[in-house]
Parts: sequence; structure tokens; C-alpha cells
Amino acid sequence: MTDHAWLDAAAPYALGALSAEERAAFEAHLADCAVCRADVQALREVSGLLAHAAAAATPPPALRERILREARAVRPLAARRRSLRPWLVAAASLVLAVAAGLGYWRASHARDALTRALAAARDTIAARDSLVVTLFAPDLGTAALAATGKPPSARLFWSPSRHRVVMAVFNLAPAPAGRIYQLWAIAAGKPMSLGLFNTAPDGRATVAMEVARELASFQLTAVTEEPAGGSPQPTQQPFLVGKVSGGE
Amino acid sequence: MAAGDDRALGDLYDRHAATAYALAMAIVGERADAEEVVADAFGQVWRTAAQFDPERGSVPGWLATITRTRALDLLRARGRRARAIERAAAVGDMGLAAPLAGAGDAPDRGVEREDARRLVTRSLAELPEPQRRVLELAYFGGLTQSEIAAALREPLGTVKTRMRAGLEKLRGSLAPLLSEGKS
Repeated sequence: MTDHAWLDAAAPYALGALSAEERAAFEAHLADCAVCRADVQALREVSGLLAHAAAAATPPPALRERILREARAVRPLAARRRSLRPWLVAAASLVLAVAAGLGYWRASHARDALTRALAAARDTIAARDSLVVTLFAPDLGTAALAATGKPPSARLFWSPSRHRVVMAVFNLAPAPAGRIYQLWAIAAGKPMSLGLFNTAPDGRATVAMEVARELASFQLTAVTEEPAGGSPQPTQQPFLVGKVSGGE
Repeated sequence: MAAGDDRALGDLYDRHAATAYALAMAIVGERADAEEVVADAFGQVWRTAAQFDPERGSVPGWLATITRTRALDLLRARGRRARAIERAAAVGDMGLAAPLAGAGDAPDRGVEREDARRLVTRSLAELPEPQRRVLELAYFGGLTQSEIAAALREPLGTVKTRMRAGLEKLRGSLAPLLSEGKS
């Protein structure tokens, strides 16, 4: 059991901490693996109790009435229960309960897993499409961002017509806990936030960001490290700066 | 419940709304949003009660799962995830889960729930800090294991190991609340 390759996915899964793709893959596995299914069920029961660790808070009295009122307006979905003859039910109940339970779990989970895998794949493709579209824009501007000749470095691509920038970052350690990197466009000496990003543990990141429509052009681009959540204005000297060429 | 009896919904609300609301507050942090989340969650329970499968979990567990999912969705929709992550990742600040000392001001309805709250809060507080942290970041912060690894600057494998170790320890200390621990 300990050499089971999937075993270390069960705890993150029970905590809802897998990415969409990881979750889809694990659920596909769950449909066929009783060991992991039992493991997940036990861990889920534990993680579910974490709800009790939230600081106590009392819901406002009006909430109860609101929920009941809204419920009266909606008919619940009817139970889809076939009426079997009582003797048949009695004879087969044990077998049915076991088989139906497992069958339902398998069918619904395999379907959910497929749906999620498909959605994740679509998201990935859409994100790549958006990158490619920006990179092939006829009005592409580029900037190489560097920190006085040493790593880290970054390369920025900007399409004014598509209001998007794409940036590839290299050799930049992920921001420390509670901090994040922020990318700025500097037009006429004034910095404007383009967005937040962080790098993967390998020091790389590829990010695509929307650019506000008012921002028709900018001459400089820079990266600072800011508190998580970002800052309205840079709070430190940028450690990466680049000059934009083209993109007019 | 599945038959559509709305008294059942009222009972369910009386028994579990406080827990659901506290959970929603811990995640979204604002009263109006928490109310929205709880109303949505009960609405979903109401509409889909017929599909609930008792074999796969308890009703309160199901409600908590729905509440948590809705709360994290709302956070994402409002673009407030970054702030939540910051809140969750603030060093040395439990922030989201109940502080151990302040566990007193609970509404008095439901002794059983109050016992559960006390036991879970205490068990969580007794975990080694690194384990407690990954559980809180995942459960209340809605971070994925990779996001947690990046936020804490720890290897992914370490994060997974801590999640497993933390949950296994809780499983021991929370046995009285778990089905396998009940007689």
C-alpha cells in the first residue's frame, strides 16, 4: 500500500488542494482503485471537520427567513427512484445497495473527471491561443528587462491593438511568503500597474496580462516586489527595468 | 428533506447555519458576502437533496463542502483571492481559524456543535505549526498544493507530507466525531 504512487494525492485531494488537472487525473484513478477511495473517504471526513475550526460567528436572524422564502419559490429536484415491487426490493436490497453504490460512484465520478479534464484542457488551449495571438500581433512591441547584466531577466511583448502584454521571466526566485511581483508600465514617468505574478520554483514564469485601454503607449516597463495583493504605486526601486521598442 | 418538506430545511438551518456561516465568514471575511454564500449553499442543498447519497458522507459534511466551495468561488469572482492568500499566508497569524483563547463567544444553540468546535479548534492548535499552516492555507485559503509550496517556499513534496501528517493526527484526536470512532 505504501508503494502506491497515488497515495500522496489523497490528502491534498481531501483538502481540495489539487489543481483542476491533478484532480481530474486523480479522480479517474479513484474510479478504479478501492484503496484510494477508502483513503479519500476517511481523510475527507477529517478535513470536513475543519469547518468547525472557523471562529464563531452568528448569522443575522433575517437570513433564516430569506433562505426559507427562496426555497419556497423553487421546487426541489424530484428523487429519481424507480418503484420496484416490494418483494423484489426485499430480496435484492443488499446486492442492489452494494452494486448501485459502486456503480453510481464509478459512473458519476468517471463522468465528472472527464468533464473536468476537458474543461482544464480547454482552459490550457485558450490560454495558449491568447499568448500566440499576442505574439503574432502586427504592432508587437518588445522589451528586454534586465537587472544590470545579471540574472534575473525577462522579455516583454506588447500588443497595443490587442491591449495585452505577454512576459516570459527567467531565473527569478519565487517571491517570499506574503510578497508578490508586480509588473509596471511607465508612461511619461508615471508607473501604472499591469498586474501581479509569481514565478515557479524553477524561477520561470510566462504571464499574459490585460492592458487598460487608456494606455496607448509606454516607454519603460519595470518589475518590483510588493506585498501580496499588489500596490497602487511601486513601493521600492524596480529590480528589473526594460525599454520598450516598437508597439506604436 | 428530499421530499421537499420545507420544515426539514428549517430544521437543517437551525442545526447547521451557525457552522456554515462561521465557515463562510472565515473564508470571505465580510458579513454580506457570508450571508450570500450561506443562502446559496442552503439553496443548493434544497434543490439537490434528492441526489444526496448518505453512503458518501454526512449531511453537515455535505453542507460544509458546498459552503466552502461557494465561498471560494465568490472570492475568486470578486478578484479578492490575492488578498485572501495574503491574509492566509501572513506569518504567525492564524487569522482564519478561531483563536484558541477566544473560543468562548459562541451562540449557545447546540451543545454538540459547541463541543465539536472546541475539540476541532484545540486539536488544530495542537498540531505542529507547519502542519497546521498547510491545512489552513488549503481549507480556508483555497490554495492548491503548488500555490502553498510557492507561498511557503517549500518543496511540493514537503507540503504533501505535511497535509497527510496533519490530517492523520487530526484523525486520531477527532476520532469521537468521526463515524469510525463512534460506536
